[in-house]
Amino acid sequence: MKYETVIGIEIHCELKTKTKMFSSAPVAFGEVANTCVNEVDLGHPGTLPCVNKEAVKLAIKAATALKCEIDPLVKFDRKNYYYSDLPKGFQITQQFHPIGKGGCIHIETKDGVEKDIRINRIHMEEDTAKQFHSEAGTLIDFNRAGTPLIEIVSEPDIRNGAEAAAYVEKLRTLLLYLGVSDVKMEEGSMRCDVNVSIREAGSDTFGTKTEVKNLNSISNVQKAIDAEVERQIALVSKGEKVVQATRRYDETQKTTILMRKKEGDVDYKFFPEPNIPPIRLDAAWIKDIQEHMEELPDERKARYMKENGLKEYDASVLVANRDLGDFFDAVCEHTKNFKKAANWVIVELPAALNKDNIKFANNPCEPKHLAAMINMVEAGEISGKQAKVVFEEIMKGKDPKTVVEEKGMKQMSDTSELLAMVTSVLDANPQSIEDFKNGKDRAVGFLVGQVMKASKGQANPALTNKLIQEELKKR
Amino acid sequence: MDFERARIEDVETRVKSAVERAKEKQEELNAVVSFVDVDSQLADLANKDPHAPLYGMPIVLKDNVNMKGVRTTASSRILDNYIPVYDAHISEKLKEAGAIVIAKSSMDELGMGGTNKNAYTGKVNNPWDTMRISGGSSGGSAVLVASGVVPFAIGTDTGDSVRKPAAYNGIIGMKPTYGRISRYGIIPYASSLDHVGYFTTAIEDAAVALEVLAGRDDRDMTSSYEPVPNYASDINSDIKGKKIAILDNVQEAITNAEIKENFDALMKKLQARGAIVEHVRFDDKLMRAMLPVYYIIANAEATANHSNLDGIRFGMREDGASVEEVMINSRTKGLCPYVRKRFVIGSYSLFEENQEKIFRKAQKVRRLIVEELKKALAGYDIVIASASGMIAPKSEDSQDEHLSKDVLVAENYMVMGNFSGYPSMSMPTGFVEGMPIGINMTAKPFAEQTLFNIGKAIEEETGLKGNDVEVDA
Amino acid sequence: MEAYSAEYFKKLAHDIMFDVSDDEVVELQAEFKELLSQIDVLNEIDTEGVEEMIYPFEAETKFLREDVVANVISQEDALSNAKSVKAGHVHVPKVVK
Ligand SMILES: [Mg+2]
Ligand SMILES: [Zn+2]
Repeated sequence: MKYETVIGIEIHCELKTKTKMFSSAPVAFGEVANTCVNEVDLGHPGTLPCVNKEAVKLAIKAATALKCEIDPLVKFDRKNYYYSDLPKGFQITQQFHPIGKGGCIHIETKDGVEKDIRINRIHMEEDTAKQFHSEAGTLIDFNRAGTPLIEIVSEPDIRNGAEAAAYVEKLRTLLLYLGVSDVKMEEGSMRCDVNVSIREAGSDTFGTKTEVKNLNSISNVQKAIDAEVERQIALVSKGEKVVQATRRYDETQKTTILMRKKEGDVDYKFFPEPNIPPIRLDAAWIKDIQEHMEELPDERKARYMKENGLKEYDASVLVANRDLGDFFDAVCEHTKNFKKAANWVIVELPAALNKDNIKFANNPCEPKHLAAMINMVEAGEISGKQAKVVFEEIMKGKDPKTVVEEKGMKQMSDTSELLAMVTSVLDANPQSIEDFKNGKDRAVGFLVGQVMKASKGQANPALTNKLIQEELKKR
Repeated sequence: MDFERARIEDVETRVKSAVERAKEKQEELNAVVSFVDVDSQLADLANKDPHAPLYGMPIVLKDNVNMKGVRTTASSRILDNYIPVYDAHISEKLKEAGAIVIAKSSMDELGMGGTNKNAYTGKVNNPWDTMRISGGSSGGSAVLVASGVVPFAIGTDTGDSVRKPAAYNGIIGMKPTYGRISRYGIIPYASSLDHVGYFTTAIEDAAVALEVLAGRDDRDMTSSYEPVPNYASDINSDIKGKKIAILDNVQEAITNAEIKENFDALMKKLQARGAIVEHVRFDDKLMRAMLPVYYIIANAEATANHSNLDGIRFGMREDGASVEEVMINSRTKGLCPYVRKRFVIGSYSLFEENQEKIFRKAQKVRRLIVEELKKALAGYDIVIASASGMIAPKSEDSQDEHLSKDVLVAENYMVMGNFSGYPSMSMPTGFVEGMPIGINMTAKPFAEQTLFNIGKAIEEETGLKGNDVEVDA
Repeated sequence: MEAYSAEYFKKLAHDIMFDVSDDEVVELQAEFKELLSQIDVLNEIDTEGVEEMIYPFEAETKFLREDVVANVISQEDALSNAKSVKAGHVHVPKVVK
């Protein structure tokens, strides 16, 4: 029998705000436990929630980028359950009126398969506390409690692990570009739950689904799905049934492991949060947010190709690595030689950083210095070979002009001065002139070399070449 | 005792003697959960403006009002060791106004009840007759004002928890408009019904108190931006032309002839002052629905609101082998059976399969009741009725809030003030069998001034300004 | 599970993290009987087309809190009410997942 896989993905992203979703305590990562909290985050008696404007703004940006319809009347609901990481005994979320509904996102897999994945909803909610389990018990740190989250729920349009990986990667870059979230899966600021089921190909009913949780990288999303699909097909082929359950992916065993069975759906007793009245978002504010959105990855790629004349590959590389793309844009503010700039940024810059083991965040090279160097090569002020030396210096934070001066590299581009030198070299090498006349082109190279030598390497090679050719013809 | 009388003594004497009286009466009334250290507060007065409205005034907070560093239990065992790390909005406001909190007062556990028999520290006794109940859930605060210990005490009102005990104790019980006073830092009962309220013995004091307590607080998103008027200086007891509607359903349900006579006589006096006194009648079905609607909504919201009481981060934690066991043991032991029972009912009505026919049905009927009240108030300044059809019952005769076939319309109607959020006030109008009785009036949203004005006229007629057990004795 | 049986109420209670005694179950059964008959009272009221009233006042707010850190409590305060504290964390018996 042929099977079709049906995958839906729920993604939780921590929003990049200064304070919590419902309290004015700071949002922080890696701080001392229980130092970024106040009474609200601890669920102390008598506390009340107060909605963070910036969180709403970031949710609007995400919803806009995902082409969701935005509900200008923001409402919240309570999701009731008891767990030690949930201080109030309920989570405030948007069950009944998500801020965004019915969007879509275009994905492209590594193999070049392109499709649209529909977005069911995007809603705001609050994160739970972080727990550390050991034999001696569980330790709870409430710093994360109340951190603003958006949950993005896809429609079950994803058909395999590769599409899932492409979907998550696309969302990740999108949210990163928008400044909505840090989207660090390994640090948990982006978390991915995948619902997987299989059905007979062509069927329009759904099979029993399992939920794979705690996936900490995009490659694991793909691997986990592939493993889970394989497992489900094996089960069904044997005539067994898929059991509704929550599972996790075990990297060493390369398979999914049962976490807990789901006996019927848990009743979370959702009801509207009485402490938060409906909030009417100002239409002008929403419009302003939408008009001032950061450039999205697809837009940036198109710009690189159209305005900067880059090849698709180069444009893709710069978009996939936002740091490089931003740096490229900064370089392009000081040079018109976009293609050269792209080449330096894509190839030489990462190589140089890599060699010295420097993180991009600590990159000592200033965009305007790199641009100046590129312009100097273009103007013939230094040679390509010299540029390599200069680059090493600007990677230490130096200004290329200073480097050239200090090293006495200034290329001789003064035509009359160079012409005098060419003339004297020609005069001194009649044999080469003879060779040239006899069709031996090599002679030109020799003569250029002589000029370079006489000029201590400062002669502009291109110009020298040109002058020698002209002078030879005259003789 | 009203503010004016309290001010006869100097601050130190006034505060110290209030503490002394509270301690003396503790055995008799059992109204105090914790005494609060007054020395540091008195010392703090040095930094306060002596003209602050409550400068050096001894007051009492219901034990669901958080005060930083002061044990706050909501009269529940599960919070027996809870020391708030923050001040309620009104605690800050009261401090600013120069008030000195002398005690935290007993209440029905977590506000759930109308007798004050459900307090972890035991029942509270009515100072007019200690065999009788104080009423609840703000019973401790009510009796500390009625017994002349303090001139002003904070309560909270979710069903009628300020206005009913006020009536049983012969004092003024004020529940302003929802959103008028921030709820930040008040241990809740049911969020959409909870109001901060308070007790005084004089209308002027009630007006001054509201000026102190009212105003926008950004930490409570339901808090109102409505400017706070000068209630006290604006009081005007000339009620000529004021339109007063007697709620007939209530008056007709009352069987006690003396209470009826007292009410009718008062209405005549108000008419004599030029008020237009007429009658309104609500749909009987809606009148009978008030208790079940209240009961369903309050219990549902309460069970969720109190899910935080799990013994993990604060409160009395009982040991257990797992975190689940810790929660179950702490909640089983920490919450009284009555509260647990109501949580079960609240939880049941929120289940997805039940919500439409129970919780949401109650919310719909709530709207119809509010529309009925709104309709009545469209033509009148206030709706008025007796605050209760009886005097405070004897302890053994009184029952906890529970559902019953014999709906006591006259005993449950004040909850319409909570459904609607409209301001509502009870005040004393006389005595029956030596026990105080009173009326209740409800006005349009943010029309607290109307209540103070008509209240002032009533106070002038009854002569019960400053009424407490000491005065009467 | 039979509706309104002792077992049923014990499960309801357990779901919201407490136990009820046999005596309490008897009370609950009585209260539920009354609840169901009160629901009948509500059902006599026509609420066709009536919206649920969630808040006393339904005026929409425009207020959103500015994203500015304003209130942080110390670790000491954060943990001061917890019965068991270890290494700056609230400590509980091992969570069984
Ligand atoms: Mg979800
Ligand atoms: Zn979620």
